[in-house]
Amino acid sequence: MNWFIKRTGQAIFTLWAVATLSFGLIRLMPGGAADIMASRLQQQAQGSNIPREQLREMVASQLNVDPDAPIHEAYYQYMSALVQGDFGNSIRYGGQEVNAIIADTLPWTLFLMSLSTLGMFAIALSLGAIMAYKEGSTFDLANTGVGILLSSIPYYVAAVVFIAFLGYRTPLFPVRGRYPSGVDPGFTVEFIGGAFHHAMLPALSFIVTGYGLLALTMRGNSIQVLGEDYVRVARLRGLPDRRIALRYVGRNAVLPLYTSLLISIGFMFGGSIILEILFQYRGIGFEMNEGIIYRDMPLMMGTFLVITFGVVIALWIGDATYGKLDPRIKSGDDSEAY
Amino acid sequence: MSMHESTTDRDLYQTADPIVEIRDAEVVFEMDRGVSRVLESADLDIERNEILGIVGESGSGKSMLASAMLDAVVEPGILSGQITYHPDERESVDVLELDDRELKKLRWEDISMVFQGAMSSFNPTMNVGGHFTETLDAHNYDVEAGMNRARELLSDLYLEPERVLEAYPHELSGGMKQRALIALSVVLEPDVLVMDEPTAALDLLMQRSILSLLEKLKEKYDLTLVFITHDLPLVAELADRMAVMYAFQLVEIGPTEEILEHAAHPYTRALLNATPNLDAPLSEMRPIDGSAPDPVDVPAGCSYHPRCPLADDTCVATDPDYHGVSESHGVACHHWAHAAEEIPFNVDAAEATTGGNQR
Repeated sequence: MNWFIKRTGQAIFTLWAVATLSFGLIRLMPGGAADIMASRLQQQAQGSNIPREQLREMVASQLNVDPDAPIHEAYYQYMSALVQGDFGNSIRYGGQEVNAIIADTLPWTLFLMSLSTLGMFAIALSLGAIMAYKEGSTFDLANTGVGILLSSIPYYVAAVVFIAFLGYRTPLFPVRGRYPSGVDPGFTVEFIGGAFHHAMLPALSFIVTGYGLLALTMRGNSIQVLGEDYVRVARLRGLPDRRIALRYVGRNAVLPLYTSLLISIGFMFGGSIILEILFQYRGIGFEMNEGIIYRDMPLMMGTFLVITFGVVIALWIGDATYGKLDPRIKSGDDSEAY
Repeated sequence: MSMHESTTDRDLYQTADPIVEIRDAEVVFEMDRGVSRVLESADLDIERNEILGIVGESGSGKSMLASAMLDAVVEPGILSGQITYHPDERESVDVLELDDRELKKLRWEDISMVFQGAMSSFNPTMNVGGHFTETLDAHNYDVEAGMNRARELLSDLYLEPERVLEAYPHELSGGMKQRALIALSVVLEPDVLVMDEPTAALDLLMQRSILSLLEKLKEKYDLTLVFITHDLPLVAELADRMAVMYAFQLVEIGPTEEILEHAAHPYTRALLNATPNLDAPLSEMRPIDGSAPDPVDVPAGCSYHPRCPLADDTCVATDPDYHGVSESHGVACHHWAHAAEEIPFNVDAAEATTGGNQR
């Protein structure tokens, strides 16, 4: 339990540190983010001069940073707004709340990531296990070669190739958007099917370039576990092959891959930025890029913070649940040996 | 490699009421540099309800002999010969002729085994109780009755049943794991328990206590025990009969007392002389010169001749048959009659080994 509190404290500290750093960034940006925004608001007002006091308030409400307030006060305002989940208003989308934009786009990124992660691990784990059982066969050798080859291709290159061949040459999959235009979001076959159809190419880009190394790791782990005494004893005890494959070999070979799963979540959050741009997929990475291009500080910060939060929370969940998966990793000090 | 076409006296390795009969058992591994014969024409009877000790140095084929009894030689080893299991009330079973399903039943239900690596015989991600239930389940035993038996077994072995069943393997000490493994291997009430170096990884005190527990267990559950070890004094205390292995062959079989006092094979005698002993000064300990042969290239004739002080041309030319030292004591040596004179014991071996054990 102590360990759990410590680990949670760590996660919260990371979140706080990231939020504070981003506050520092806003204040220290060359030219000053607040100044840029003030001048842009001034331009938007077109001629009619906005009183300085009103301008300051507008900037403060959008940026969560009052440019004229002393630093500790500004920091307090910024953090309390964050804690309340208020990221300010977007400039790119004409003053729309950044919250609303994130609420609209985050589920799509999560959907795409879950699809990629699930697909990648399902393929890698089963393929790796089969390769281990058939160690040294042609199947094993061929898949090792293919796996290494595909893993050496960057996912964005794969994405471009997929767009060219599966999107345009033979248009099997749509290459842009999140769901078919003209379909209303809802629990309809058209919408859900369309969403999967649209997510297919971006997910494939991750899966095809990512499964290889995982499958090879799984293969190596499985071969090692297959040589363990407990597997031999299990066979002699007459356990069904299925149980040995799943409960003995599979379970023990998967353990080290759990960490890879968590790392890949972080990787995909980061990778989603490029991938969502390539596929014009309005997820959170896409919006972050918009924020950068349009110098939309609140949007940029909001998406940046949400991505960081996502990675921190994923790792926290992973650490907290690892003990459930591997009884040897009891959470820190409550492991007792007798 | 010549075979024992006929032994001088078949009775030597036969017993009155055998539970397992091993005839001409052979295990070969095809290797790049030749055929590796790791068990050679082994003939052995295991008497019902006896404790048989099989002694030999590392890599002498002991484990292969043990695995052969369950037809469990690891791939790609090939086992040939004949192994017959005589159950109490059912018909005799030819172990090597069984199909997969029957073999599955034989293993653990009739003949069970405790492995060398007790430390790693449990699945680390499953609690100990899970191993018991899944075994009972796989053999279609009544799980509840079986678990009650498991609890009794565990407490017979001086373990706290509930605590051990709930524990994960890493939470138990080596000795506890070893005892839990013994309980697991007799939970289906087998007739024969083959133990391959069950105490190798344990300290001396734990070895002793496990031995006495085994004797108790044997009495209570009517077990026939086959105890395989490199530790000669250890079996000397426990076993009714002993079989000595050298270079993948059984070289001497006999009652424990006889072997200890009148060992007739030069190797057995040398082995006894090499046994560390608190009563004997270090200077009197005699290591055996040379090293054990390569399984791919076993010397022609008697495989011990390169290291044997008694060896002559006969030993180089022909593989010795079994010779009867006494009614139940057989030895595969041409010069068994002279072994005692040529290789005297440095101390009275029988006294030394048993004396050493009482400590």
